[in-house]
Amino acid sequence: MGESRKCRAAVLRAVGAQWQIEELTVDPPVAGEVVVQWKVAGLCHSDEHFVTGDMVPPAEMLEAAGMPPFFPVIAGHEGSGIVVEVGPGVTSVAVGDHVSASFIPSCGRCRYCSSGRQNLCDAGAGAMQNGQIVDGTTRHWLNGEPVKLMAKVGTFAEYTCVSEASVIKVDADLPLDAVALVSCGVATGWGSATKRADVRPGDTVVVVGIGGIGINAVQGAAMAGAKRVIAVDPVEFKREKAMEMGATHTFASMEEAFPVVAELTWGQMADKVIMTPGVLYGDMMQLGTALAGKGGTIVVTAIAPITQTESSVNLFELAMYNKEIKGTIFGSLNPRSDIPNLLGLYREGQLKLDELITRRYTLDQINEGYEAMRQGENIRGVIVYE
Amino acid sequence: MKTKAAILRARNTPWSVEEIELDPPKAGEVLVKIVASGMCHSDEHLMTGDLEGATAPLPTIGGHEGAGVVLEVGPGVFSVAPGDHVVFGFVPACGRCPSSASGHSNLCDLGAITATGLQLSDGTSRHHDKDGNDLTLAIGALGTFAHHTVVHEASCIKIDKDLPLDKACLLGCGVVTGWGSAVYAADVQPGDMVAVVGCGGIGSNAIQGAKMAGASVIAAIDPVEFKREKAMEFGATHTHASIQDAMAALGDTTWSRGFDKVIMTCGVGNGDVLGEAFWLGGKRSKIVVTNIHPVGEASIAIPAVFLTVFEKQLIGSLFGSGNPRKDIPRLLELYTQGQLDLDGLVTRTYPLEGINDGYAAMNAGENIRGVLVYEHD
Repeated sequence: MGESRKCRAAVLRAVGAQWQIEELTVDPPVAGEVVVQWKVAGLCHSDEHFVTGDMVPPAEMLEAAGMPPFFPVIAGHEGSGIVVEVGPGVTSVAVGDHVSASFIPSCGRCRYCSSGRQNLCDAGAGAMQNGQIVDGTTRHWLNGEPVKLMAKVGTFAEYTCVSEASVIKVDADLPLDAVALVSCGVATGWGSATKRADVRPGDTVVVVGIGGIGINAVQGAAMAGAKRVIAVDPVEFKREKAMEMGATHTFASMEEAFPVVAELTWGQMADKVIMTPGVLYGDMMQLGTALAGKGGTIVVTAIAPITQTESSVNLFELAMYNKEIKGTIFGSLNPRSDIPNLLGLYREGQLKLDELITRRYTLDQINEGYEAMRQGENIRGVIVYE
Repeated sequence: MKTKAAILRARNTPWSVEEIELDPPKAGEVLVKIVASGMCHSDEHLMTGDLEGATAPLPTIGGHEGAGVVLEVGPGVFSVAPGDHVVFGFVPACGRCPSSASGHSNLCDLGAITATGLQLSDGTSRHHDKDGNDLTLAIGALGTFAHHTVVHEASCIKIDKDLPLDKACLLGCGVVTGWGSAVYAADVQPGDMVAVVGCGGIGSNAIQGAKMAGASVIAAIDPVEFKREKAMEFGATHTHASIQDAMAALGDTTWSRGFDKVIMTCGVGNGDVLGEAFWLGGKRSKIVVTNIHPVGEASIAIPAVFLTVFEKQLIGSLFGSGNPRKDIPRLLELYTQGQLDLDGLVTRTYPLEGINDGYAAMNAGENIRGVLVYEHD
């Protein structure tokens, strides 16, 4: 068994705080685990949800459940790296292999993995809790204090020790920043359109919110043959990017889009609506569902505040127009087949990944990167480790 | 009224262009001035006798891929009116039978009557030769190899008047059949690897459909170099002159996994060829049989064990498993938006009198699609 490693990591210690760079101690892997040296980490909005608290269970909820405090946390769940050590019994990767993070583990053995729904792998249940997937114990320490990893991955650290189920081997000739993007945002957006919304040739599709997820929903809808891909975002730069990635029309708001979608479709409205704003508030669903026509599908991909329990949906219309609202995680894709498949499309020039990266940052610049995201300046920022 | 039509009087003889007598439309029927008609391989099958027993007795008027202008409607016709532009669906779509009512109007029960070549409304003829003998309508009870025809309302799909009828006619059969074979029957998904066997009027559109549905690899297989070149224009990523060549290249095209979808769109189906193409498909692949096999053919050379152990699926498809009333207008809209190439499909046009030249060109592999365009006074 190897030695513990010391490295640097971006740590969040409270809602509303800044990310702080601290020294992290990573214990060696036990059976079924690997240590990954992360090379690229995506600055995904999901990590920001810890800062805003949208994805942080209230303290009283944790206390009632008998769970320890949420913080500190090392976030980052979108990433790529190189395996530097493997524990006993690890067969799918070896030292030196290039891997994509899989923020949803895919054990390949549970009921969901066994039925083509690896995005719902049972091993993902404890994603927000402390401890390792394999045995619930701790491998990561901040000066003796245990720290949790977001989604048990924690790509905002130079090294982490993760379950074999959380890494997907990829071809070593692929650029690692492309691999990092596919591991979460690209697959989530692309799958939201192609798999969950099941966009078909000739469909009219509306994508609401054009960030790192929505831009890939645009890309997926275009690839699936949508006749119209209508992108909605208040930020002009993002609307321009959407046009580069396959959108046919753009609007600054759902209010602006609504009458034009009605006109374009001769009143039939969209076949598919995909909700990918930075944060999904319940009142956005009123227009979100109204943008879909008879028999239309509304896919909910974005993260909503964890304690929000209401949303504005006209249930009369939902029933009378036979609409359906569908949730999705990871675009309803299977990490082990779809991450390599998407990278194959990238290799063939059929999936744009390089164009998604607006800026690159060092780990020390992480707060700068998130501020740019908040200002709507980035489609995707990434951390590139030295 | 009097009009002109191309009549088949005996198998394996040329089409005979003659003056005919056309009765006015009865209840449920529509008189149409035809502007253009595609020259589909199915009508050639009629001539050679491949469809003997499944199509109307001779003498018969051919043609089933047409578009024109409504001149007169019989009592009880509501969906079209004089002046409307229509495309004929070669399968009628009554909208009321179990198949039509469940989203499979390509299998409309009225289609059974089309095999008689008589009017769908009452089983009699509106078309007669100059000696007064009844003429059947060969495929789809349409008779588009004529300057005018009388057909059932169920065969008329109204389209916008600004669309060019010499292109729109192709929507009545070949385009939807090919496009739908990929999009509906094969259910091509983004990233799929697709093989299209035979790149004529149907296969070209299967390629367009597969491309639009996001296929990552489209291998087009045809012995004729011109068709392979056209296939690349329609969106193929690879071409092969034969199934054997495609098999030899499986490592390059599919990383040896085999194709996800194989679409059979040869000029004539053949059980041995289907058996060869079956090997192109990978695990859980769908092999779609769109091309017409001879009615009398009773066996196909498929090792059935691979249906089981690789879960391959053999799927038949008529009219691309599409619905005429939905898909004809839908695909025309894609054409007007520049997302579907119809112009590139039409290699040559002919007057009605040029019909035999047109089929000779088709048989020589020179046409993706020949179209008859009629001059009206």
